[in-house]
Amino acid sequence: MEQIIANGLYLGAQYALIALGLTLIFSLMNVLNFAHGQMYVLGGFVCYTVVAQLGMPFIVGLVASALVLAVLGGLIERFLFRPVIRRSKRDESTMLLAAGIAFFLDAVILLLFGEKQRGVPKVVNGVFNWDFRIIMPYDRILIGMLAIGLIVAFILFMQYSKAGRAMRALAQDRVAAQLMGVDVDRYSMIGFAMGAMLAGLVGALLVTITGVNLGMGGPTSIKAFLMIMIGGAGVISGAIAGGFILGMMESVGLSVLSSYGDVTYLVIFATLMIFLAIRPQGLMGKPWG
Amino acid sequence: MTRMLSFDNVELYYDHVYALKGVSIELNEGETVALIGANGAGKSSILRAITGLRKIKSGQITYMGERLDGTSAPEVVRKGIAMVPEGRRVFPLMSVKDNLLMGAFTRSDKPGIEQTLESILTRFPRLRERFNQQASTLSGGEQQMMVIGRALMAKPRLLLLDEPSLGIAPKLVQDIARAIVAISRDEGVSVLLVEQNSRMALSISNRAYALSLGQVVLSGNSRELLNDPRVKAAYLGGDV
Ligand SMILES: Nc1ncnc2c1ncn2[C@@H]1O[C@H](COP(=O)(O)OP(=O)(O)OP(=O)(O)O)[C@@H](O)[C@H]1O
Ligand SMILES: [Mg+2]
Repeated sequence: MEQIIANGLYLGAQYALIALGLTLIFSLMNVLNFAHGQMYVLGGFVCYTVVAQLGMPFIVGLVASALVLAVLGGLIERFLFRPVIRRSKRDESTMLLAAGIAFFLDAVILLLFGEKQRGVPKVVNGVFNWDFRIIMPYDRILIGMLAIGLIVAFILFMQYSKAGRAMRALAQDRVAAQLMGVDVDRYSMIGFAMGAMLAGLVGALLVTITGVNLGMGGPTSIKAFLMIMIGGAGVISGAIAGGFILGMMESVGLSVLSSYGDVTYLVIFATLMIFLAIRPQGLMGKPWG
Repeated sequence: MTRMLSFDNVELYYDHVYALKGVSIELNEGETVALIGANGAGKSSILRAITGLRKIKSGQITYMGERLDGTSAPEVVRKGIAMVPEGRRVFPLMSVKDNLLMGAFTRSDKPGIEQTLESILTRFPRLRERFNQQASTLSGGEQQMMVIGRALMAKPRLLLLDEPSLGIAPKLVQDIARAIVAISRDEGVSVLLVEQNSRMALSISNRAYALSLGQVVLSGNSRELLNDPRVKAAYLGGDV
């Protein structure tokens, strides 16, 4: 039991970070970023390149992933989403664009990093063992802690910094935010860069544990959208709740249902369908807070 | 008296429907000017044109001797123009404190911001009581005070108010009216006041323009307009 909870928390922290990036982009720009999983994979490969190929410390790999993805996210907003949003009022346009970017990033990843599974050496060795009730390798504990630290940092940033306040204002009332002097273009770009950065950071964190491969992009995007649907789109608390709930469900599923074969996600999807039929807006409802 | 703001033959369209058809108005420094008129007359459109939320099609807007049309909304705020929009538009999930701080978004002088905040909380003690409360839980009147305070946080030279009495209990309308008078007196800001409550608007402004179908149909000294039979018939409910 303790083991399932510990695993769920560990997974949930990663998932929550992914969901936070996705929900940030959605609430600022009304864009469903289908390329979120690919950004995660790219972050993993950047970290792999810096740590395993160039032999730099893991922390350098993390920072490099964050920077590369932030710049990439900023450029994608500036040169792809911004002109499309300006010219087209239809939501489908940005959805198609996001899907196109997902395929494009898949191709870029294939070209640059190939299709092999890649990983980096363990950051710390050893296994934590609490009376055989919780057994968890130290590197998982470290990565889980880092993820939780990043979630806390993100919340503090959104809550107390001027830029964070501006982004919340923009999400809550676009016109009023403009009247306060918030530059919509600028903060859409910052928001997209931050969202992409969070995805990249999770990829970089997980490359030390599970490794990374080309095929993980699509499924990761789907998981990210599941979390948003569970928690409610555009809400910080919803993204976090969604992430931890999915992490828990997966953890429970993997230990309880594994004897029935690979049915965890079948059960999760079925549960989610019933849940959404009852509460389509997710747990935390719609607006941003 | 120095000219602060002027509209010179301004036209504004929404797609192909016109909202302003050759509007010329003026506002001098220190003045409170009212814009009155029926629904759809174009009052809000004038404010949207000033703040850069909507581009004008022709004509010219001048502010402090410089051309204002074509300036982006954030830049307009930096030039000292703050607006209280129609329907209040609070940031519903933010605290009163964060709403007010958003008003000072273009400022970076920490001590100055603190000082302005303190003076606003003194002017509207209700906001101090509700300081950490979520804005959506405030009453309509409290929200209106908050968004007026939010606009003042920018330390504007020109304050644009779009129907501050809308949806507010009659007793509170008087409070709001008094606050507007006090603000223009104490802070030395000029005020452009859009109102459907013409009696209130005319009684607290120096001059006024009446709009109809995107055109100025009457203008003059507010006290004289209050007694003008045409105004009484058209805008004051005909209680001659
Ligand atoms: N976003 C919009 N799209 C299309 N037409 C609009 C839009 N906003 C306003 N209009 C039209 O422009 C005209 C002027 O509108 P405006 O909002 O300036 O009127 P108003 O005098 O402020 O009215 P009210 O007292 O109802 O607020 C109206 O005919 C209105 O229908
Ligand atoms: Mg209006």
